[in-house]
Amino acid sequence: MRRVELTKVIIHVFLFLCTLAVLLPLINLLAVSLTDPAHAHLMDGLDLWPKKFSLATYEVLLNNSLIAGGILNSVFITAAGTCLNLLLTTMAAYVIARNNFYGKGLVVIFLIIIMVFEPGLIPEYLLVKELDLLNTYTSLILYKGINVYYLFIMMRYFQDVPEELLDAAKIDGAGHLRIYAQVMLPLSKAGIATLGLFYGVFHWNEYFRSMIYITDQAKWPLQVVLRQFVIRQDNTTIMGGYENMFGGQLVDFDALQAGTIIIAIVPLLLLYPLILKYYTKGAMEGGVKE
Amino acid sequence: MNVLKKLRHDWILYVMLVPPLAYFVIFHVIPILGMRLAFQDYRIIGDNVWVGFKHFEVLFSSPAFMNVIRNTLIISAMKMIFGFPVPILLAILINEVTQRHFRKYVQSVVYLPHFLSWVVIAGIWIKLLSPSEGAVNLIANFFGEPSIDYMTSKAHIRWVFVASEIWRSAGWDSIIYLAAIMSISPALYEAAKIDGASRLQSMFHITLPQLTGTIVTVFILNLGFFMSAGFDQVFNMMNDSVISVADILDTYVYRIGIVNGQFAYSTAASLFKGVIGIVLILGTHFTSRRLTGRGLW
Repeated sequence: MRRVELTKVIIHVFLFLCTLAVLLPLINLLAVSLTDPAHAHLMDGLDLWPKKFSLATYEVLLNNSLIAGGILNSVFITAAGTCLNLLLTTMAAYVIARNNFYGKGLVVIFLIIIMVFEPGLIPEYLLVKELDLLNTYTSLILYKGINVYYLFIMMRYFQDVPEELLDAAKIDGAGHLRIYAQVMLPLSKAGIATLGLFYGVFHWNEYFRSMIYITDQAKWPLQVVLRQFVIRQDNTTIMGGYENMFGGQLVDFDALQAGTIIIAIVPLLLLYPLILKYYTKGAMEGGVKE
Repeated sequence: MNVLKKLRHDWILYVMLVPPLAYFVIFHVIPILGMRLAFQDYRIIGDNVWVGFKHFEVLFSSPAFMNVIRNTLIISAMKMIFGFPVPILLAILINEVTQRHFRKYVQSVVYLPHFLSWVVIAGIWIKLLSPSEGAVNLIANFFGEPSIDYMTSKAHIRWVFVASEIWRSAGWDSIIYLAAIMSISPALYEAAKIDGASRLQSMFHITLPQLTGTIVTVFILNLGFFMSAGFDQVFNMMNDSVISVADILDTYVYRIGIVNGQFAYSTAASLFKGVIGIVLILGTHFTSRRLTGRGLW
């Protein structure tokens, strides 16, 4: 009996250490970003509490045109992109979920081909260039407009709506458009929430196409600003020259970088309860086919 | 009903299909057809010129390209060997936790990194591994070990890829195994308990064998993405000092294509990768279907 208990204790301790491995680096960054800039150089990778609490770093960040602009750009691209994703995906899913729809097999085969054959980076770039979409938000809103996996997941949600309800609507004289908008969508809120989170997280985290398509820094989403600042260590582009900075206010670059990372994570943390509720379930249903 | 009647009856369905299909044609089919650039020379003005396999010949005689392929295979293999078992182990351990709140806490925390972008994760890891202030080196110093600049060390960077991949994905990837474990019949465990099996024995003699099907499926499906090796990760964690051991196919395509502007040559490299990728994906899909009944679609 005692041996069983010992195994259990070891497992619990090990799992707790795993969670610390995830949480402590984040807590450290949070602590550094909340430390007064004059004391920030005293903080190292093992500190989990601010040495002298201050919001000065975030004040500087939110007053910085590239960071604040990046947040707004990201919010806009994510919102617009997700809406377009949901519209296109639910429309296609509604049609494919109709069993008596002539040509369904053909459309499904087309979608599977789309899923398997990925276009390369260069032809996609040249297409965006040819459409004159370089340096536009449109290029990013349109990027990955429909994900075929998600389309199939949505289709399954639609198929779960009882057939009788649709028949009843039909008898009342509703056409497909009305059934789609007034019966299907309201009855598939969980599916829409799931897909909205899938797409939303994707857009929020997207950086690569933004980096290639957008050369105008004022249009950069937050992830590109973050990359330039934290990964490429390009302080000058983000913060400008030292002298014209914040009217002589003291800043600490480590704290500023830590704060930028935290800002990029905050929206995900806010949505995390929803993500756990919907995303996890959706991922299971999408990953495992009956 | 004949076909024509059906079409007329459901015409609105076809209208609803137009926007999504148009999207796929413009942003997916056209660029796929654009891959023919691999067999052409790019012209800014006028039509591109067909050049046959010229770019591929240059590609395969280029030591740089061979090195990139080698890096891709090595990094993928390392992630497979060291990263693949971790979520299985994690799922088995999480399943042993019976206390509901602790279990929920563990799951919520280990899933989290999956939702962070690689830009964010690279940022976190650069700080974590910093030779002067990073937690890892401070702990090493505490035990009397000298600091190592992992991000710029050719000997270490691939291990950084493996470790950060595990940090990001192990938790999330454990979900599928956890679901499989929960569908194992409790009767098996009860029978084992009556026979006097310990918790550890149950884990290895019941849970693990029952998971074999899922493990095989996930392994085969992962093979389909072997040529990718994780572009976003490598792209954000790589720097000039480790480029010779870190550069993979996708980062190479980006550099010679977007940065150097060699559009056709770069497209040839990505077509090569794409063709192998499709063979792998189709191969693994049908293998997985035959062996386990589960495929990619």
